[in-house]
Amino acid sequence: MQALRIQKSPMPGFALGMGITLTMLSLIVILPVGALLAQGASYGAEGIWQTVNTPRVWAALYLSFRLAFFAALFNLVFGTLLAWVLARYEFPGRRLVDAMVDLPFALPTAVAGIALTALYAPNGVFGSLAKALGVKIAYTQWGILIALIFVGLPFVTRTVQPVIAEIEREVEEASATLGASRLYTLYRVILPMLMPAALTGFALSLARAVGEYGSVIFIAGNLPLKTEIAPLLIVIKLEEFDYNGAAAIGIAMLLISFTMLLAINLIQIWSRRRIGHV
Amino acid sequence: MSDTQAPARWRAVTEESRPARIALIAVALAGLGVLVLAPLAVVFAEALAKGAGAAIASLGNRDAQSAIRLTLLVAAIAVPLNAVFGIAAAWTITKFDFRGKAFLITLIDLPFSVSPVVAGLALVLLFGTNSLIGGWLVAQGFPIIFALPGIVLASVFVTFPFVARELIPVMIEQGRAEEEAALTLGASGWRVFRTVTLPNIKWALLYGVLLCNARAMGEFGAVAVVSGKIRGVTATMPITIEMMYNEYLSVAAFSLAAVLAALGLLTLALKTVLEWRHADQLAATRRY
Amino acid sequence: MHIEIDEIAKEFGATTALRPVSLAIPSGALVALLGPSGSGKTTLLRILGGLEFPSSGRVLFDGQDATGMTVQERRAGFVFQSYALFKHMTVFENIAYGLRARPRASRPPAAEIQRRVSKLLDLIQLPQIARRFPSQLSGGQRQRVALARALAIEPRMLLLDEPFGALDARVRKELRQGLREIHDTTGLTTVFVTHDQDEAMELADLVVVMSMGRIEQIGRPQDIRARPATPFVREFIAA
Repeated sequence: MQALRIQKSPMPGFALGMGITLTMLSLIVILPVGALLAQGASYGAEGIWQTVNTPRVWAALYLSFRLAFFAALFNLVFGTLLAWVLARYEFPGRRLVDAMVDLPFALPTAVAGIALTALYAPNGVFGSLAKALGVKIAYTQWGILIALIFVGLPFVTRTVQPVIAEIEREVEEASATLGASRLYTLYRVILPMLMPAALTGFALSLARAVGEYGSVIFIAGNLPLKTEIAPLLIVIKLEEFDYNGAAAIGIAMLLISFTMLLAINLIQIWSRRRIGHV
Repeated sequence: MSDTQAPARWRAVTEESRPARIALIAVALAGLGVLVLAPLAVVFAEALAKGAGAAIASLGNRDAQSAIRLTLLVAAIAVPLNAVFGIAAAWTITKFDFRGKAFLITLIDLPFSVSPVVAGLALVLLFGTNSLIGGWLVAQGFPIIFALPGIVLASVFVTFPFVARELIPVMIEQGRAEEEAALTLGASGWRVFRTVTLPNIKWALLYGVLLCNARAMGEFGAVAVVSGKIRGVTATMPITIEMMYNEYLSVAAFSLAAVLAALGLLTLALKTVLEWRHADQLAATRRY
Repeated sequence: MHIEIDEIAKEFGATTALRPVSLAIPSGALVALLGPSGSGKTTLLRILGGLEFPSSGRVLFDGQDATGMTVQERRAGFVFQSYALFKHMTVFENIAYGLRARPRASRPPAAEIQRRVSKLLDLIQLPQIARRFPSQLSGGQRQRVALARALAIEPRMLLLDEPFGALDARVRKELRQGLREIHDTTGLTTVFVTHDQDEAMELADLVVVMSMGRIEQIGRPQDIRARPATPFVREFIAA
């Protein structure tokens, strides 16, 4: 372990700290994820492809990623608006509202799941309203979308809020002295400054929504090809003791998530470099 | 900045017009009300649908009782494990320079980007009866999957980065000078940690532990996969909520959910108080 | 443009930033507002620019009441102490910003914008930096870009808040000369705020010494040096 060290340090506890860290990391993260990858490797690329390349699995993956993307997109817009309102405006109860933003993190997913279902089911408060308008929410893709919006809601707000607080007023004033209207300033000056942080929040919200299970399965209806999300398919395969199938879908999800997050990271590095915070 | 007596157009140039402000605040509040507050309210409303008596009685049910006991037990094991890991990882990362530090941090963050279901699946593949290790452990009479250890492992996995992520930025900001000073005064390593480091990070540690505890008690996806959902044995509170809900025991399901929601609200309140009182000793930017 | 400040006062809540002050700035003059921090000089500049509104009193531009005019309507070229350049835009985009922000009807065509920005880059003697980002510029270059950006809107006056405050001594001397030259070429009425009496005396035609929200003395540099009107002025310029 000493071999890892770059410099000698007078500080004690390196061996102990590193020992605990690596033991826990191996036991909890590295070995299990390794076991997943090993299962995938022994199943082989062809096996994985055959599992994934069925209408039911494609439909589930497409549904999960598509709805997660739309939910994250909604959260990008609404979360930025929320961050702006909380950072810039004074109104009664602002601090309470600010604390409320974190409710989706504090509420367990299963609790959120049954609560959203009760609200949006045809006999629920919002569900009956929607029914009167001829729309069905629970047990359709709309219900899944709402659950995914719920679980990812705080991410964008929490990443953007500190950035808004740091904007120098002089920059906004400069824009006004140059003749720009407030709307033009918001669009051309402020939004671009918030973009890197908002993208981070978007990515976190997306990652969370893609893998979400607890809050979705109650409201989803879980009809194959229609409202069946990818994580549920993994659970179903496991219940059928189809470990290879489960691992294949798990690996496919990891791969797609990884690619998406990589793309977002690249966009971010690019935009940060432009603005010049390295 | 804005002068109340001045005409409306004399507002500060860095502010939106009053109607625009009111409209934006209204959209924000309405959105939060519908998306966040309504689900919370409905939990308590459904729990109390047949009166407080029925709700409380349903919590006395044997399954509910065993679920509460199990969830408390899991949290009591998983949270301290995580706190110890978090402190060890933060100490190692912030007090020493070594190769691969960035990679180590990435690995610690990994559980955030893995679906809980995939996490459960990974644990099943490693420790399930079909696997090498799992098979051997079962033969020794120490099963992991469909038993308490599996639930603990799953809970630790999903909460893995919480404490470390909270401590690392705070400890980076505080630097090493105070610890080095204590060392030159002849304090032992343990004493330095206890008398210098710990007082500096105690609020951040508490913050991380709070979030970790809330998530550990509420975890559903990962636990659903590894627990086997054995009634009265491996069914935690969230799992029991699902079972009761699927059996149309609405009051019982929502009563148990209300207990978890109340716990979540308590966590949120404590966390908010910490943010107000000790903001200077917490990490400036949060990640979940 | 001739600027007249008529009994302007400004309070921020309980604190008084400006007691009623009056001042006439002749067209084409280069005026320094000189004083220690808290003297109200920046507040006065911001009131001229439309970034702050007076609690009482009037501002007149060429005899017309401009007190209630919005910041956008004023067309005052404002250079901020921190320059406030837009970090996510290139130098070109920064300078072109005010032209592009105009409503479609009065917005110059792209070729015209291109031409004007190039001309301004020549004026500040930095023709090569159009495609750079502010983070890639030195302090002195940033200051000149901020000046060019303010000039791009064809301002009616030029207002500068501690324009040399963030620069080291050598660059400061150089840029003082630059500002003088730009003032002389454009003929714009120019007001700048400074706490540095050397800077005020060397550069300005007219120096306004301020303290605690009051104007202590208005005069040409040599007159203020020769005949300080109040003990405060005597002490301040001796420092």
